[in-house]
Amino acid sequence: MTTALVTPAQPPHRSAPLGASRTRRVLFVIGRHAVLVALALMFALPFLFMLLQSVMPITQSKTSALWPDQFAWSNYREVFDRVPLATYFLNTLKVCALATIGTVVSCVPVAYAFSHVRWRGRTTVFVLVLATMMLPYQVLFVSQYQIFTELGWINSILPLTVPAFFADAFSIFLLRQFFLTLPTEVMDAARIDGASELGVLARVVVPLAKPGIMAVAIFQFLFSWSDFFGPNLYLDSDESLTLAVGLVRLNTALVKTGESNLTMAAAVLFVLPILMVFFFAQKVFIEGVTLTGTKG
Amino acid sequence: MSPERRAARRRADRRRRLTVLALLSPWLIGFCVFVLYPIINSLYWSFTVKRYGKPARWVGLGNYRLLLDNDELLLALKNTAYLALIGLPIRLFIALLVATLLARPRRGNGAYRLLFYVPSLVPAVASGALFFFLLRQGGPVASLLDLFGIEAPLWFRDPAWTKPALIMLGTWAIGDTMLVFMAGLVDIPRSLYEAVELDGAGRWARFRYVTLPMISPVTFFTLLTGLIGVLQAFDAAYVFSQGVRPGRLTGEPDGSLLTYAMLQLRYFSDGRVGFASAMAWVMFVITLVITMVMMATRRRWVHTTNDGAA
Repeated sequence: MTTALVTPAQPPHRSAPLGASRTRRVLFVIGRHAVLVALALMFALPFLFMLLQSVMPITQSKTSALWPDQFAWSNYREVFDRVPLATYFLNTLKVCALATIGTVVSCVPVAYAFSHVRWRGRTTVFVLVLATMMLPYQVLFVSQYQIFTELGWINSILPLTVPAFFADAFSIFLLRQFFLTLPTEVMDAARIDGASELGVLARVVVPLAKPGIMAVAIFQFLFSWSDFFGPNLYLDSDESLTLAVGLVRLNTALVKTGESNLTMAAAVLFVLPILMVFFFAQKVFIEGVTLTGTKG
Repeated sequence: MSPERRAARRRADRRRRLTVLALLSPWLIGFCVFVLYPIINSLYWSFTVKRYGKPARWVGLGNYRLLLDNDELLLALKNTAYLALIGLPIRLFIALLVATLLARPRRGNGAYRLLFYVPSLVPAVASGALFFFLLRQGGPVASLLDLFGIEAPLWFRDPAWTKPALIMLGTWAIGDTMLVFMAGLVDIPRSLYEAVELDGAGRWARFRYVTLPMISPVTFFTLLTGLIGVLQAFDAAYVFSQGVRPGRLTGEPDGSLLTYAMLQLRYFSDGRVGFASAMAWVMFVITLVITMVMMATRRRWVHTTNDGAA
């Protein structure tokens, strides 16, 4: 079920060589490697070109040169001079931090109520939660926009963070899946000892479910970091933008001047934190992906 | 049962209900304010001519009738169908291919897995900007093709090539799907392979008669979420078309990048809230129909095991 990305999860499968001749097996191995190497190149080259272009001197960036004459690291400083990138960073961090905290704080109790507390109508209500996942954002935002306008929240991070404090369906679902894997005996023992449901949640479930909670937090963080549609809808003034919106505007502006080196430098800065989060939390992350994928 | 005991039990029941209510309260409030109310609102608005700051004027099915002979809507649906019918199968095929090649632990597979997975972490706006650069006239892809004496198409000038560009970008980001396939492959009982191997099945037969049926629940799931995702496609198409010609959301060149979500957002930004609401509801209905049709035909092509897990 949980496939760690790097460490092999199972011992090698021995392929029974019944009738399969040696040459055929060798041919298969060669073919397999040829396909993998070709695909790997295609998947890696975009990253390589992104990095190379990000340090391409401006005179070269407009040509079809693939390798920079000299590494113009100053591009990374230059892009901060062109757009208020530091402000974008700060805005994005604020959105991500608040949305992540909001999601965890609000979804943990809800997921608990849907997994380890028995009450009438639980299944029905949970189906309703799942059903809301089917709703396209388009059905919701036309009206949400009006609410946020009337509250005076346009050009602020509030439309992107406040709803996170009210439990979204996907995170509830993911957390519930995690909670269901926890042993009920421990919870029942705590209940017999007189713990309230909140006590069980805080003292038994949360400590046991830390990996699940981490996965939900990381997913929300990455979603908020990457999200373009929402910020593009609610943010317009230059000092309110998140990195995603800022990057798109920068790209649009620099296509005309041909300075794709600066766009790529900004893109690298935008993507780097995601990769860092991924590498630090790889195991938790992969478990989350597979859990939502196969149990869906 | 004595009256006292019954009263005590009733009190306990009430406390229990209150606890459940308290635990659920974040979702309950959020559901009412950010889901239920907006749903009712947008459904009502879809039957009206509505602009912000002005009262809605009831027009019945007027918006929906206008949708029927809206050429741009037809174009957006055609673009979506293109991405769904050509892009999605390519993506699923590559994801399954890579997953099959890498599912078994072998030396070096870890590095491959990492490499194939990481692009899916790149936000669509960033990969949009990246592919816009890669495919531009005289860009890296054109240079590489030139090495083989192939003249690169004008990806962003020629309307016939913009959607293939989108599909390439989407195929680069199949890591999630690959991972889900891999998890499904690992779950296939080894004994099944051993059984058909005894019958003398080759590699292809093993794949065709064991792997494919056994991962069909995963394929079903990825296909369904993929279809719903295509219907809401926005980010990369937006970045491309704004790069081609900044301004209104027309999906330049020649509307070849116009997605359904893009058109809906344009009507919304133009202040035609009623019309945008109707478009959103049509989108929802299409999502529902796709889901229902797939669920209804599920039994025909999805293999279910005894435990019915997937």
